[in-house]
Amino acid sequence: MNAKTKKIMSSGILTLLMAVISLVIIIPLLVMILGSFKNPTEAQLFNLHLPTEWHFENYSYVIQKGGIGLAFINSLIITVVVTVFVLISGSLCAFVVSRKNTRYTNFVYNLFLLGMICPIQIVTTFGVLKSLNLVGTFLGVMAVESALQLPWTIFTLSGFIKNVPRDLDEAAFIDGASPARMFFTIIMPLMKPILATALVTTAMYAWNEFMIPMYFFNSSSKWTMPLTVYNFFGQYASNWNYVFADLVLTALPIAILYLCCQKYVISGQTAGAVKG
Amino acid sequence: MEKRKNKFYPNYFTFPAILIFTIFFALPIIAGFVLSFTDWNMKRLYEPHFNGLKNFTYLFQDEYFLLALKNTFIFAILTTVLIVVLGLLLALVLNNAVKGKSFFRTLFYLPAVLSFIVIGIMFTSVFKMNNGVFNQFLTMLGMEGLVNDWLGNKTTAMGCIIFVQVWKWSGFAMAIFLAGLQGISKDYYEAALIDGANKWQQFKSITFPLLAPAFTVVVTMNTIGGFKVFEQVYVMTGGGPGNATQVLSTYIYKAFSKGTLGRSTAMGLVLFLMIAVISEIINRMLRKREVDL
Repeated sequence: MNAKTKKIMSSGILTLLMAVISLVIIIPLLVMILGSFKNPTEAQLFNLHLPTEWHFENYSYVIQKGGIGLAFINSLIITVVVTVFVLISGSLCAFVVSRKNTRYTNFVYNLFLLGMICPIQIVTTFGVLKSLNLVGTFLGVMAVESALQLPWTIFTLSGFIKNVPRDLDEAAFIDGASPARMFFTIIMPLMKPILATALVTTAMYAWNEFMIPMYFFNSSSKWTMPLTVYNFFGQYASNWNYVFADLVLTALPIAILYLCCQKYVISGQTAGAVKG
Repeated sequence: MEKRKNKFYPNYFTFPAILIFTIFFALPIIAGFVLSFTDWNMKRLYEPHFNGLKNFTYLFQDEYFLLALKNTFIFAILTTVLIVVLGLLLALVLNNAVKGKSFFRTLFYLPAVLSFIVIGIMFTSVFKMNNGVFNQFLTMLGMEGLVNDWLGNKTTAMGCIIFVQVWKWSGFAMAIFLAGLQGISKDYYEAALIDGANKWQQFKSITFPLLAPAFTVVVTMNTIGGFKVFEQVYVMTGGGPGNATQVLSTYIYKAFSKGTLGRSTAMGLVLFLMIAVISEIINRMLRKREVDL
């Protein structure tokens, strides 16, 4: 056997290995997707057969009975507000922290560093929300989720801003621009790629988050998608066709976002990590 | 000059982020230090009484708390090891010319973006006794004897939850390792080839040491994530059967639902201290390896 055939063989084996591992990821997803179009009896068999009849109405049933419409809107509101707030406040903060080296900015940097490691103290957070009258409100949940997402955002963004030349700031300042104007018209446009990463990551986080809304929303009218799905699963545990349809609806927006913005998701989420 | 320049970068730019972070994250942590030593509960929300170390002595005599502590450790360690090994393996393979490379990368990363609620419920079906995909697979291989109610069995439930964590995060680790691998200059390998080093020697003396920063990140992130584990346990087993899969975060939730806030906060403090100490140790150890290069 010469070197070339050996190389082809080994690459063939590796491809095969990757294909087998992919099955571990694909099969559960496929059982779920196919099951969402089946009748209850067929869905319970959890197999990869195509449905004998395609029950598209599973989806309309779930949207009506599962309160998905409202949950979708709730999730959307929370996701948009958290993302916008985290991106703007995070990039402003990251800008100053990465440009200045004073005692205050070092303190800010270390404070957020702590936030990268520490878990949330959930019960006292409840206490804080309670004393601010924010338990069970959108504002409370949005504030806590923003606080949780800020540290990562600030680190990723400041890592990027360090590589943006300072000459631009100075030129703008000599032209008499205010700090805010300089930031929003000169720096922010240069941050587009990293802001795209932060946007996708924060949106995914806010959409998927379960624990925070679970602790802090008491009324089901404010529930987000993951909460609604969990509750629906509790009620319809034997109707896997509906449960699967519900899961697909929850996962779909994120899966689409991921497939469209893959470049920003993977490169961005990992770049900061490796440099750091 | 430096001072004048600092005016370009006003401190008030940091205020919105600092304000939200301090009130809704830092303040509760500080309050946790204080309230852990009180009998704080739902009924007397605004009048906690100092009770010294009572919460902690209670906790460390509570067999279920100790079990949750043990389970959390086992979960964090096992998942981290498995994710590092699998993530590295995938990255090493996909860093070569393999057919369908970008398809595999996209697919392996996909679980990392899906919510744990979706994944948890989906895997509840996979591990089901009747017709569950996993049991079907065993039957197909002729191992009917192993068919089992995986999530309902005390000895296997934790294994299922570990599997789900590994399923979700291995692709993410892969992506970090891949980024690390791509940063290693090809020159090293060419030099090694001239010296007649074989693949394993190349891995041991070039790839592995130069991947140190990626290791630090993957190990730290997964250990911290492992200690914080909540959603998949809550969804898949609720801490059961019995308390077989009870972890700190689910036990904190249990104490919270009972209204014993002081005790729940004390557990939160234990979790906080554990993560802080362990991530510091890991970082010291791994960063040292990075410096030694």
